[in-house]
Amino acid sequence: MEAATTAVHSQVLHPRAAAFTVRARSVERRIGLLFAASGLALVLLMGVLGLVMRLTQATVVDLSPGWFYRLLTLHGAGMITGVLLVMMGALWYVLHQTVPLRVGRMLATYGLIVLGALAVLVATLVGGFGAGWTFLPPLPSYPAGQWSTWSESLFFVGVLLVDAGFFVYCLDVLEQTTGRYGGLARTLGWHFLRGREDSAPPPQAIAATAVAIDGLLSSAAATAILAGLLGRTYDSTAGIDALVAKNLVYFFGHSMANLTIYLAAGAAYVLIPRYAGRPYETTKVFVAGWAGSLVFVATAYSHHLYMDFVQPTWAQGVSEIASYGAVIPVAVVTIYSMTMLVWGSSYRWTLASLLFYVGLAGWAIGGVGAVIDSLIPINFRLHNTDWVVAHFHTYLILCVVVWSFAFLAHLLERGADRTTPAGGRAWTVTLILVGGYGLTGTWFLEGVLGVPRRYAIQPPGTTGYSLAGSIFALVLAVGIGSLCLQLVALAREAWQRRRYTLVERTDSWTGGRYQARVGRGPDEPPAAEALTDSGLPLASPAQLALGAAAFVVALAAFFPQVVDAADTNIRFHHLDHAGQFLLGVALGLLLGSLPAVSRTLGKKPSAGLAAVIGAPALMMLVMLPRFYEPLEGDPAGHALYHLAMAALGLAAGLGATRLGRVAGRLAAFLAVGMCVMFAAAMK
Amino acid sequence: MLRYGDPQIAVGAVFAALALLLAAAFTLIGVQAGSDVPFERVHRVGYWLRKRWLGLLLVVGVVVVGITFFDLPYASGGGAGRTLVKVTGGQFFWSLAPDQVPAGTRVRFDVTSLDVNHGFGLYDPHGHLVGSVQAMPGYHNRLDLTLGEAGVYRIRCLELCGLNHSTMESTFTVTPR
Repeated sequence: MEAATTAVHSQVLHPRAAAFTVRARSVERRIGLLFAASGLALVLLMGVLGLVMRLTQATVVDLSPGWFYRLLTLHGAGMITGVLLVMMGALWYVLHQTVPLRVGRMLATYGLIVLGALAVLVATLVGGFGAGWTFLPPLPSYPAGQWSTWSESLFFVGVLLVDAGFFVYCLDVLEQTTGRYGGLARTLGWHFLRGREDSAPPPQAIAATAVAIDGLLSSAAATAILAGLLGRTYDSTAGIDALVAKNLVYFFGHSMANLTIYLAAGAAYVLIPRYAGRPYETTKVFVAGWAGSLVFVATAYSHHLYMDFVQPTWAQGVSEIASYGAVIPVAVVTIYSMTMLVWGSSYRWTLASLLFYVGLAGWAIGGVGAVIDSLIPINFRLHNTDWVVAHFHTYLILCVVVWSFAFLAHLLERGADRTTPAGGRAWTVTLILVGGYGLTGTWFLEGVLGVPRRYAIQPPGTTGYSLAGSIFALVLAVGIGSLCLQLVALAREAWQRRRYTLVERTDSWTGGRYQARVGRGPDEPPAAEALTDSGLPLASPAQLALGAAAFVVALAAFFPQVVDAADTNIRFHHLDHAGQFLLGVALGLLLGSLPAVSRTLGKKPSAGLAAVIGAPALMMLVMLPRFYEPLEGDPAGHALYHLAMAALGLAAGLGATRLGRVAGRLAAFLAVGMCVMFAAAMK
Repeated sequence: MLRYGDPQIAVGAVFAALALLLAAAFTLIGVQAGSDVPFERVHRVGYWLRKRWLGLLLVVGVVVVGITFFDLPYASGGGAGRTLVKVTGGQFFWSLAPDQVPAGTRVRFDVTSLDVNHGFGLYDPHGHLVGSVQAMPGYHNRLDLTLGEAGVYRIRCLELCGLNHSTMESTFTVTPR
């Protein structure tokens, strides 16, 4: 008997999706699962802590303020880290199919983030650190008997590790996307926008590149302030400027929290179309929207400083415009075009696609709450009330967390090639929506009432809101529990089916059709072609001349008159160090960009990465009075110290040349930028 | 005891209305997702609608953001004719000098901190949040207000400042004229 064999269509995707859906390779599935499962495990744990805190505010649980603030700190840091992990995995999963992202970098990212999360866990639960995940300086140095210096240091090290992990991820994304699509402007679609080219990179590549740039900027700010704070735990004479520090902390914190949703959007451009059966294509409006998001994400952060009246008023105005501006690409491009994809598409409802769809609404509704709060006169009356808690929990729980589960459900449903029963998933999502919106609704009401956020003990007469919130949180927990049970069932089936696939056969005698199992062969789709050359940061004679000019100007940082003048003020002193570092960076970029030197150095991208992260971090850590003051009486030692600054810059500059044209330039810029930000923050 | 008051109630009502509108829109789109409409038609109508949607958001943005620029809470000028009230925050207390003024006084609160960041949140005698400003070490944030209603105003901390953040309170009295 002979049988004709054809592949069975996916039971979970839209039939039209076969035309544009690329089958995932095993490495993509594995990395996706690793990041999704690890991140969601963290999210679930942090969710339990959130429930305990809400029950404490409702006076159902008797938790001391000391423990409340430990849990608050851990909950914030852990949640952001958890969803960040999932969304990095999701974007990697969809991007790796066309861009040769490195598996080693992704595993390094994972290792750094997991280590960082463990350090934060120990610093809070064991060490008692409770200054909030935004660790607003100088609060970490004023523990009021609640934490010791080691836990403060460990917390900073933990956040630095998470930050470094994200930096590694963003740098790899930027290096590979710009290498794959031919430079930054092309990758962001700007040539296409201006009509110079007929096509642009796919949406996920544009989104990933914009996220990577903003991610690198915010990571650099975080490294600068964290290095300063870590240094202060060793040398308490190092002062800190509360306003500059607050700017850096929120530039990092706001952007990081915000970028989780933009990472998610990058993945959603690929995954939602699979259920709608309509591909998401790059249009000029899309490119313009992401150019706007690139700018607005980096400039909106200072709405956190509206009530710091000493912040320049123009900066407050820019922030308000940027905060409103950030809405437009999301409302007009991402969410709107997703609804266009879904409308009248015979949408394939599965567990994943349902979660993706309801997540769109969570983003929109949470976004409205955010934009209202970003208007300065309204913020004057809502700042740091529970309104803030309400709006960010709306888009974090009801979009980012929901999409995190959606991504895992997508992987598992594809693996199992089935979805869950319609009744079960409808109940599950109903419980999540009722619990989620009910919980955030109580916070919105408390915000209108003027209840301050982050209170271990609620103001008199407001406990009822916390109780209602706790009940809704329990409903949410039941919904999430039900979701997890469904995911476990899918995971079991996906595991059983990992070695075979179903094919449809037609019996040649009887003409009957039947399905049969056949082993999965090694016929994986081809990997995206690795880059052979992503260029050098200084490629043309003009660029080399610019590098040489920067080197000559930075020589001034060694002039005795400048060094002496800088000694009169600690900020100038640090700025002079940054100038010496710049000299080294310029020299490194120049040398490393010379073809002959570049050939001698060889590829070594990992060494380059280590240099651009390690050299500025080390430089900032040794810029402490306790280190350099003893050297000031010793001319030789003092000169050597300054030369060491330039040597670290040289290492960073040479390292940057190993990272390709775009990523190398930005890495070199940020290495110097970190040192300048550090100089501004310390006093 | 906290109480609801304007403009927060209006803000909450606007948000609730917009949230319900969005929920209704997403429900409608979700229901329509099951139907089969040619994508060309969705494109044609969707892009037509999108241009108007963008126009609406831009107009609302320019109008709303523009109006807010005329109502910024930031103090300006030298404070002539205003009674200066020096406010100092510390873990976990507020110090106000003077701690009372007559009703109708034009007050300039000069707010700073001895240690960490605190938030100076002022609640009127009815328990309604009037507004807030940060108390930051090394800086002086100045807030101008005219307190017309006599009574005891309560001050709560609106920035996480450590263990006793939620009990860091004080009062400021506005006496009848």
